[in-house]
Amino acid sequence: MPELRKDPVLGRWIIISKERRKRPTDFPVEVSTGLGGFCPLCPGNEAFTPPEVFALRDGGQPANGEGWKVRVVPNKYPALIIEGDLSKEGLGLYDRMNGIGAHEVIIESPNHNHSFADFSPKEMALVFKAYKERIIDLEKDLRFRYVMVFKNHGRAAGASLEHSHSQLIALPILPRMIVSELEGAQSHYKYKERCIFCDIIHQEIQQKERIVCENEGFLSIMPFAPRTPFEMWILPKKHSSAFYTQNDGELYSLAELFSESLQRLCKCIPNVPYNYVLHTDPLRSGGLEYFHWHFEIVPKLTSIAGFEWGSGFYINPLPPEEAALFLRESLTLS
Amino acid sequence: MKKLLLVDDEEAIQMVYREEFEDEGYHVISALNGEIGLAKFKEDTPDLVILDIQMPGMNGVEVLRQMKMLNPSIPVILSSAYQEFKRDLGTWASDEYVVKSGDLDDLKNSVRRLLKLDNK
Repeated sequence: MPELRKDPVLGRWIIISKERRKRPTDFPVEVSTGLGGFCPLCPGNEAFTPPEVFALRDGGQPANGEGWKVRVVPNKYPALIIEGDLSKEGLGLYDRMNGIGAHEVIIESPNHNHSFADFSPKEMALVFKAYKERIIDLEKDLRFRYVMVFKNHGRAAGASLEHSHSQLIALPILPRMIVSELEGAQSHYKYKERCIFCDIIHQEIQQKERIVCENEGFLSIMPFAPRTPFEMWILPKKHSSAFYTQNDGELYSLAELFSESLQRLCKCIPNVPYNYVLHTDPLRSGGLEYFHWHFEIVPKLTSIAGFEWGSGFYINPLPPEEAALFLRESLTLS
Repeated sequence: MKKLLLVDDEEAIQMVYREEFEDEGYHVISALNGEIGLAKFKEDTPDLVILDIQMPGMNGVEVLRQMKMLNPSIPVILSSAYQEFKRDLGTWASDEYVVKSGDLDDLKNSVRRLLKLDNK
C-alpha cells in the first residue's frame, strides 16, 4: 500500500510507493566522464574568470594568480547583473523588476579531479568559510534580501564542468520556497513556541531510524517526507537561524559530518549526481527564533514528470527509514 | 590581414558572416562542424575564432575546450542564438559570448576589441 506523508514545515505531500521499493543498486546512474580539454577554473587559467571577490590562499600570494585553495569569482555570464538600481513596476496586475543580483561561483579546490565527496573535512571547511564570508559581504548590499548557495554535482544534476564548484546568487527578493519554509516554521512557533527544526532534531535523535550519522554539533538525517530517495538534511543541533554566525570550529564540525554523509551516499550509489542547497535566514533578519539553518542534499535519482509538476507531490520509491539504514551500513568507519 | 575562423553548421550564417567580415578586410576561413573547425584551427592558426555552440557532432563548448587546450592565446567568441548556454560554465573558456542577431555590430565590435583593432 502506498503511503502519503506530509512535510511538517512546508505542508508538502509526498507519496512513498512501497510496492516500487528499490535497493540502491536499482537506481541507474549515468556515469559522466570528464570532457577533458581546457578548464577555465583550473589554476593558471585565472585570466579566463572575472577578477576574484574572495579567495583563501597562503599569505603573500597576489590575487588572481595561482596559490589559492578556494576562490570565488563573479559568474562570467551571470543570470543576474550586479550593476544598477532596483526598479520595480506594475503592468496591470503583473509585477516586474530589473534583473539585479549577484551571481558568483565558488571554485572549491585547485585540483580539477578532486570530487567534493572526497574532500577532507579541512578542505570542506574552507568551502563553507567562503560561503560564510560571501554572505557577510553581500549582506551589506541593501538591494539584496537573500543569498542562495547551491551546488550541482554531476551532469544529471545540472553541473556543466567537472571541476568542483558551487554557486551563489544574491537576490533582491525572497525565493518562494524560502518564504514557504519561513511561514511554515513561524506557524509552528506561534502554536508551540518552539523551533520546528529543533523539534525535528529532538524527535529524530529519539527515534534514530532516519539518522544517517551525527557528531557533537550536527545531525544528518533523512527527512520524514523526502522528495527523492536518499534526500538528506544536515542541521546544527544547537539552534541557529543564520549560517554565517558559525565559527571556524563549528564549520569544521559541519564539514566532518557533511563529508561523512556524502561518503556514505557515494559508497551506496557510486557517481550519484546530486544538488545541495543551503537554507539560511534572509539577510539582515537579526536571528530568528523560529527558523533553523540547514543544508538539503537531494540526489538526482528520479525524474520530475507531469504528475509532480501538476500536483506538487513527489513520488519516492524508497522509504527514508530504509534509505537511512542503507547509508548507516554503507561505511565501516575506522 | 587578420585571419578569422568561422565554425557554424548553418550555411546561410556562414555566407552572411563571410561577406560582412571580408568587407571589413578580414580573411575568413570556415568550417561546417566542430571536427573540421578543430582541424582548421590546428592547420591554419587563425587570429580569432567565431564558434557556434549548437552543432551536430562536437558541440561548440567541447570544441572550445579543445581549442583552448591547443592554444589558449587565440581568442574565441562563442556565438549562439541562445542565451541559455551561458549556464554552462564551460563557456567561460571563451573570450566573449555574443548572442546572434541580424545586426552584426556587437559581433564586429567584439572581434575588433579582441584583436585590439581600433573600433570604427
